[in-house]
Amino acid sequence: MKKYILTAAAGCLASLSACGGNSAGFTPPDGTLDKCTLRFSWWGGDDRHEATLNAIELWNSKHPDITIVPEYGGWDGWTEKVGTQLSGGTEPDIMQINYDWLISFSSDGKGFYDLELLTDYLDLTQFDRDVLSFGEVGGVLNGVTVSVSGRGLFYNSETYKHFGAEYPKTWSELINLGEKFHKEDIYPLDVDIQSGGTAWYLAVVYVQQQTGRQFITIDGELGFTEDDIKEALDFYKKLEDGHVIRTIDMRTDEDGTAALYQSPEFIDGRVAGVLEWGSSVGKYEMTLSEGVLEAGPMLSDDSGKSGGWMIKPSLLYAISRNTKNPDEAAAFMDFMLNDTEAASLLGTTRGIPASRTAEESLEKSGRLTGLAQENDALLEQLDTMTISPYMELAQMKEYYNSAIEKVSYNAADSAEAAHEMYVSITEYLERIRK
Amino acid sequence: MKKKYRNPVGVCKYSGLLFITPFLAGFLLFTLYPFASSFILGLTEYDGIRQPEFTGFGNFRKMLGDSSFLNAAAVTLKYTAVLVPLKLIFSLLAALTLNMEIKGMGVYRTIFYIPSILGSNLAVVIMWQFLFTSDGLVNQLLELCGLAPVGWYGDSAHAMGIIVLLRLWEFGSAMIIFLNALRDIPCEYYEAAKVDGCGKIRSFFSITLPLLRNVIFLNLILQIIAAMQEFNAPYMITGGGPLKGTYTLGMLIYDEMFKYREMGYANALSWVMFTLIAAVVAAAFGFTKRHREDI
Repeated sequence: MKKYILTAAAGCLASLSACGGNSAGFTPPDGTLDKCTLRFSWWGGDDRHEATLNAIELWNSKHPDITIVPEYGGWDGWTEKVGTQLSGGTEPDIMQINYDWLISFSSDGKGFYDLELLTDYLDLTQFDRDVLSFGEVGGVLNGVTVSVSGRGLFYNSETYKHFGAEYPKTWSELINLGEKFHKEDIYPLDVDIQSGGTAWYLAVVYVQQQTGRQFITIDGELGFTEDDIKEALDFYKKLEDGHVIRTIDMRTDEDGTAALYQSPEFIDGRVAGVLEWGSSVGKYEMTLSEGVLEAGPMLSDDSGKSGGWMIKPSLLYAISRNTKNPDEAAAFMDFMLNDTEAASLLGTTRGIPASRTAEESLEKSGRLTGLAQENDALLEQLDTMTISPYMELAQMKEYYNSAIEKVSYNAADSAEAAHEMYVSITEYLERIRK
Repeated sequence: MKKKYRNPVGVCKYSGLLFITPFLAGFLLFTLYPFASSFILGLTEYDGIRQPEFTGFGNFRKMLGDSSFLNAAAVTLKYTAVLVPLKLIFSLLAALTLNMEIKGMGVYRTIFYIPSILGSNLAVVIMWQFLFTSDGLVNQLLELCGLAPVGWYGDSAHAMGIIVLLRLWEFGSAMIIFLNALRDIPCEYYEAAKVDGCGKIRSFFSITLPLLRNVIFLNLILQIIAAMQEFNAPYMITGGGPLKGTYTLGMLIYDEMFKYREMGYANALSWVMFTLIAAVVAAAFGFTKRHREDI
């Protein structure tokens, strides 16, 4: 009996040694486009889904031999879904990926296809070298940046008009608005600790602007001191206490776990501002009447210091390293990035395209307008910092949100929460950088 | 002369084995193999991308100092302790009501069972979430009755209450088991008791309850197992909040596995959850031994 058990355990071990997801074979490019079916996945709001499906329809009409099967959904749970596919080697051929996925799923640059091998069909000359470098891991080009974007502030113009208020330019003006809007129980802004995770982001911008220190460096070192973290938490609490944003208690009582753009409070204009990526603000825009949502200035301190705001590649496209059709996948990726017709269908639903041809096409057709463009223009005027991919890791977000929640519910004072967060982040970063 | 009997199936002595082969294959492949693999993965550090790295019992040692695990285990036990007795009482009361002989009882039984079919439906879970928002139907009803509205999501006890209520609403399965058992109790017992002057309450405690002992125990075990594996409702309704007050072991395992990609640790946690459920069930066996017949 003992022998059988040992044999079974050895069998399990042997099969588990095949774990690692990337077990399927690597297919080199063959320089031809053959008949095939490819899967393409992305996340986003309805505006992005609609535009992308139209672009796929255009591709299918131009390339009847290469069929694209779309796989799409909202952001919530998307990382988990694609992560599971990557572990099992069943990921789509072409994927829209998030910046931090490069270190989560390809820490050695081998998790995705090396795109430098596919330049027969993928035109990389349309991108600045700096922009391309965002997609490199260990010297291997794993992803091509679709757009570079940052979070900006967007306000409900009707609510602001109702109060006769101007969009705030400084943090103090924002805090003063809290008092003004309080009379009618309306909030000038909202941040969250759920899918958006904007609460900590805003606090980080504030402290980065004050100190000039970057929260997490590009190579994954914690740049903030424990005091900086405390200051960020205090700032967040000040916004809650000043009726600038809803408390977490109030937010969950009103919306449950629903995303802000689906919240009745936002749709009714009772929450009159959001902090969102220029590349994703479309989903907020769609829930309000046209033209109601407007981009506001990036906040600075009273002396006019405006640094601290951040940018990153909002999205990248990558190709599965297990794809059987790398040339065809590269051709489709090129179409999505550089094709002028596709660009006009996709518009700015993924931000302002980083590809020169796509950007020029939108400019010529007068479509380089809207909130994404306004947000980018505002960010361009500032001395921005590039977000570290480490800042966006799920475990890191858990540390931020846990600290913010404790401070919001008064379950811990800011010093206590800051200490816990500082220790957890330091240990975690040290472990994953290995 | 001794008569020879042929195997009734008429094939050979291994034909029985042949018939159960599909089940055996399924069991080995889809139950035993993942079960054993999960334990082995629990002894590794594994992110789903790189090769698993053997770390011995490191994951299990890590749990002892992991406040998330200790909190999730405490929340799970608390939730089980609150939900299971309530659900047993509620489903028994419903079964007693539906055991009455009145016209159209079949329709009532169906109506009472519907929530159990709908309960795990995502749409119902989302509906439940909105029932308890600050402007939701429940608070509106409370205000209609002159009561103050409740902040359901801002307080751990209230948030857990929402989930308990959802699961209580799905009392159908436990109720059906009770109902079946109630219908098996011979009417003569009640008639004899009535002749002896026994009232309804006395009949319930002296006849019904003792004869339901085994079924109560069966429901107890089934409900404990289901409650300790709770995931859907807190994940969808409260997101585990506030302050991790509804963050169950199931949610922790999901997060470690899919969100943080600590797959070795998640597998180790699954084994601890399995052991914890087995321990609670064993304790339930122990505590009720005196009160139930052998089953």
